[in-house]
Amino acid sequence: MEIILNTGGTAFQGACIKGGRKFTDEYTQEAAYCDINPEDFVALGKPWLVKITNEYGDSVVLQAKKTDRQQKGEIFIPRGPWANIVVTTYTESTGSPAYKNRKVEIEGGSGPVLGPVTLMKKYYSKRTNRTGRTAAEGGA
Amino acid sequence: MSSEAQEGQTSNKITCTDVTCPVCGLTCDDIEVEVDDVSVVTRNACIMGDAKFKELRSSHRITAPLINGKEAPWSDAIDKAAEIFVNAKRPFFFIGSETATEAMSVGIEIAEMLGGLVDGNATICHGPTVMAIQDVGQVGCTLGETRNRADLDIYWGANPEDSHPRHLSRHSVFQRGFFTGQGRFGRQIMVVDPRRSTTAEHADLHLQLKPGTDFEVLNALMTILSGFEPHESFTEVTGISREDIYKAADMIKDARFGVIWVGLGIASSRGKHYNASMAMRLTQLGNKYGKFVILANRGHCNVAGFNEVLAWQCGFPYAVDFSTGEPRYQPGEYSTVDVLRRGEADALFCMCADLGAHLPKRAVERLCEIPVVSIETAEGPQAFISDVVLPGVLDGMECEGTFYRMDNVPCYARSFIDPPFDFTKSNEDTLIQLRDAIKRKLAARGKTTETVEGAAETGSKATTLSEEEYVQRLDTLLSQPQS
Repeated sequence: MEIILNTGGTAFQGACIKGGRKFTDEYTQEAAYCDINPEDFVALGKPWLVKITNEYGDSVVLQAKKTDRQQKGEIFIPRGPWANIVVTTYTESTGSPAYKNRKVEIEGGSGPVLGPVTLMKKYYSKRTNRTGRTAAEGGA
Repeated sequence: MSSEAQEGQTSNKITCTDVTCPVCGLTCDDIEVEVDDVSVVTRNACIMGDAKFKELRSSHRITAPLINGKEAPWSDAIDKAAEIFVNAKRPFFFIGSETATEAMSVGIEIAEMLGGLVDGNATICHGPTVMAIQDVGQVGCTLGETRNRADLDIYWGANPEDSHPRHLSRHSVFQRGFFTGQGRFGRQIMVVDPRRSTTAEHADLHLQLKPGTDFEVLNALMTILSGFEPHESFTEVTGISREDIYKAADMIKDARFGVIWVGLGIASSRGKHYNASMAMRLTQLGNKYGKFVILANRGHCNVAGFNEVLAWQCGFPYAVDFSTGEPRYQPGEYSTVDVLRRGEADALFCMCADLGAHLPKRAVERLCEIPVVSIETAEGPQAFISDVVLPGVLDGMECEGTFYRMDNVPCYARSFIDPPFDFTKSNEDTLIQLRDAIKRKLAARGKTTETVEGAAETGSKATTLSEEEYVQRLDTLLSQPQS
């Protein structure tokens, strides 16, 4: 289902990162979920988990959370590394990426919801072939 | 502002009052902190401030330098970091916001010395709002005026209940100020947000617009205030009824002192700086009816300070490139996400920010390809992707410094405790040590900091002039006849 993605901070997610608890299960609880309008939630088949995919095919699995705070046709993911898997680098020449108001695909997911350490290892381990590193480290 | 540090009941317990909070743009200065050997207790702090102060006694604090994830001597870490930037052709300096302006100034100086790029947290925060200020101009005021005078608070794309938890109680909705003695009962609250946020629950009017239609709603309000009818497609486009938009216009007309608090709902949505420009034009129009101001809800502690410091030092607020020897400003070209997306930077310095967690995936992937040096206080995504981690000092707690509040008022923050290590006294001290190490390496290679050849891919010269030389150069330029 095509849907509009908004991301943003929450006080609990904020407390987690300000308190340096970014590699704890608490961060997963506070930032790895997706707020969904009740009508969309039913249309998705009342899923426990959802998979969000952006226009480049990058995807992330999150806990599904039904809430009437969302309008139909929109989802909200708290700010953090999970949301940023699907946030795109399109900045409209301002430097500010597409944190809000971008179309994504949403479907029922099969998990697991990755913890922060696992997520970083899966997506961002330092490359063995570090092309940009050769000049900076004085190598060939 | 007064302060006291006194001996408590336990031997190493200290109690400090009127502490400045280094977390969000409100820079609250009424925090009380009790610290002993094992615990921290705060009063007046919000959930985020409390969490930050508890970092003083946390188990996950980074207290030793790390090179490739392993503990290393401080001198080795500084040497390794200096080596990375001396060898880089396109070094990028990201100056985060949870540090004092004094440290930011040295970071910018290093970027200029090396002919690199420099950017700060504004780039992924209110950068578009800053562009709008340059475009239209901001009618602003201090937080003191909003608390004492404002009888209409409009939260546009902002949810301070989550982003600035003490905003409503200290500076707007509930505050009983000089002319606002009735507190909430003397103020009208309007929230413009596609979500029914916690802030929206306090609102007299919630305009629950369709995402990405801020520009259209702002335009319609200006149309009504100018005496015309909004287009017939207004409700279909924005999702807001004509009754509600007229009610909003009436609230603006009736206000004696209105404030538009803009959040990232404006700056991060489609349209970006055009949305913010329109909000500033609406503010100007609102002044036909009463006093009207607009303030950006700056998220991080000193994110406004970075804009100020960079503007002092080179004339521009963010996204600056020094590779030609002179500062050039171009959001979208020299801004962090764009530079990383293009795979342009070949080394990155990140001070007191978590780019690993808060940049889009395609930008973080570039950070995995290049050497990254960070100043960090705790383990997390940024430390994970860093080759060199220099332990951070907590500004406003372990070292003094200046923070710019969200209304651009500089606030001095005192320290009340020492850092848990002795190799650096502050993030400013760390950067000075790094700068000196870079200078020594450049000198050893026969380069001076005045002329660093090959600092940029263009092969141009990056020049740092002394004050005397700068004045001399300026005089020469001014004495030349204008064509």
